[in-house]
Amino acid sequence: MIAEIDVRAVLSRSGCEFHSDLVTRSTGRAVRSGIEAHLQEHPDVSVVVLDFSAVRVLDCSCADEVVAQLLRRSAPGAGGPAAFLVLRGLDEVHADQIDQVLRRQDLALVAEERGGGRRLLGRVGELTRAAWERVARRGSAAAEDVASELACSLDDARDALDELVGRRLVTRAADQYFPLPAA
Amino acid sequence: MTAVVSVPPSLDERSFEGFATDLAQVPADAARVLLDAHATEWASPFGLAALLCAGQALGDRHGRRALLTVPADRDVAHYWARAGFFAEAEALFELHGAVPRARQPSESAVLLEVTPVRVAADVHRVVDRIQERAAAILTTGLGLEPKATLGFGMALSEACQNIVEHAGTGGWVAVQAYTWRRRLGRRVVVIAAADAGVGFRHTLEPTQAKRFGDRWGDGAALEAALIQGVSRFRDPGRGQGLRGIRNVVDRWGGKIAIRSGTARIAIIPAWDEDVPLKEGLAAFPGAQLQVVVPEAERPAP
Repeated sequence: MIAEIDVRAVLSRSGCEFHSDLVTRSTGRAVRSGIEAHLQEHPDVSVVVLDFSAVRVLDCSCADEVVAQLLRRSAPGAGGPAAFLVLRGLDEVHADQIDQVLRRQDLALVAEERGGGRRLLGRVGELTRAAWERVARRGSAAAEDVASELACSLDDARDALDELVGRRLVTRAADQYFPLPAA
Repeated sequence: MTAVVSVPPSLDERSFEGFATDLAQVPADAARVLLDAHATEWASPFGLAALLCAGQALGDRHGRRALLTVPADRDVAHYWARAGFFAEAEALFELHGAVPRARQPSESAVLLEVTPVRVAADVHRVVDRIQERAAAILTTGLGLEPKATLGFGMALSEACQNIVEHAGTGGWVAVQAYTWRRRLGRRVVVIAAADAGVGFRHTLEPTQAKRFGDRWGDGAALEAALIQGVSRFRDPGRGQGLRGIRNVVDRWGGKIAIRSGTARIAIIPAWDEDVPLKEGLAAFPGAQLQVVVPEAERPAP
């Protein structure tokens, strides 16, 4: 099941109803707690789409608390809600901000910008990023397809794709790899 | 005995060093301290915020409010009132001279009056207010991209949060727009965020002093924070605020400088001739940050 969460609405419900900006670490913590509480009430959620469309200013501290911490806590074995995370409605400025925050912590996730384009934010290897781009563009791909397009060995392509699966950036069914659903 | 320290005629981050040197020489047993600003003709946001820090530090040190003479020039005094200086100074200084009544700042140059920052809610208020006022000046006045307002709000937020999270006391933030005729020949928007708290060295000492060894001091602490992005917290997600400010300031060809204790560090754009790190300055408590965002260079006709 896919859950779409309006981050601005969570901000309002988190006792910050008079503020329209995602700034300060304490605000970020409150918003993240709100999101985690929602996910605990809905344990069948497998993909969480965080919608930033109504967010104006986002600072690094808040991006760390809301996005990076949520990502770290939802990693396998981290004890948090085990769901795939996708960001939507990001302004270019927000996307750059989150990208920097994730890179610093060797994290990565899929984001959909306000124009609709998808990009991978954060730090991943060159081949892994290229593999993600192929899967995202094709809608699905096998390791053979990626190896052929990137002119790399099948083992390298498979390693890159499996890394993407492990980092929850694509899904896998049998020998096919798929981009994360976000609708 | 009353010790008198003259406030420079033009008080900005450069002339502040002379002021800080004079201030550091005030005897600890001076009965009162008078900051004499009667001949001051101009003060930058940094100057106004730092003057408040001086007032707070003197009050803490001498156990009573310092004296401050109001600028004799009526226009200057009115400007300081419009910039919100006296509203904050009243609690820190015994003011001498005619203090103009504070009016709503109609002047577009004052994007944000000198505003106290103590808790996270203050940061929200500051960011909220600046969004409306800064949009026009950043895009039309400075020729920056329309989205610059978002980055500006982020930088302002992080500057304020440094005070809330690390100073151990409150501080002030102010934002103004004006023209740097001699230094740059272009319009600039300047953010100043200052406090008289514990400073970077004290904040980072428990986690960083050992790593730096003999080099440890105010300069090393500033280097660790601004260049290396370290924080007193071990969480890898911390310490990103100053880096975030650097990113947006770099994009606009701007400048960031931070003074703390006896040192000052700066990321210097091509248009400026500052030095990256100064050490051995006169001791001044807390941390004082200044961000300068210049008007975009227009292509030659």
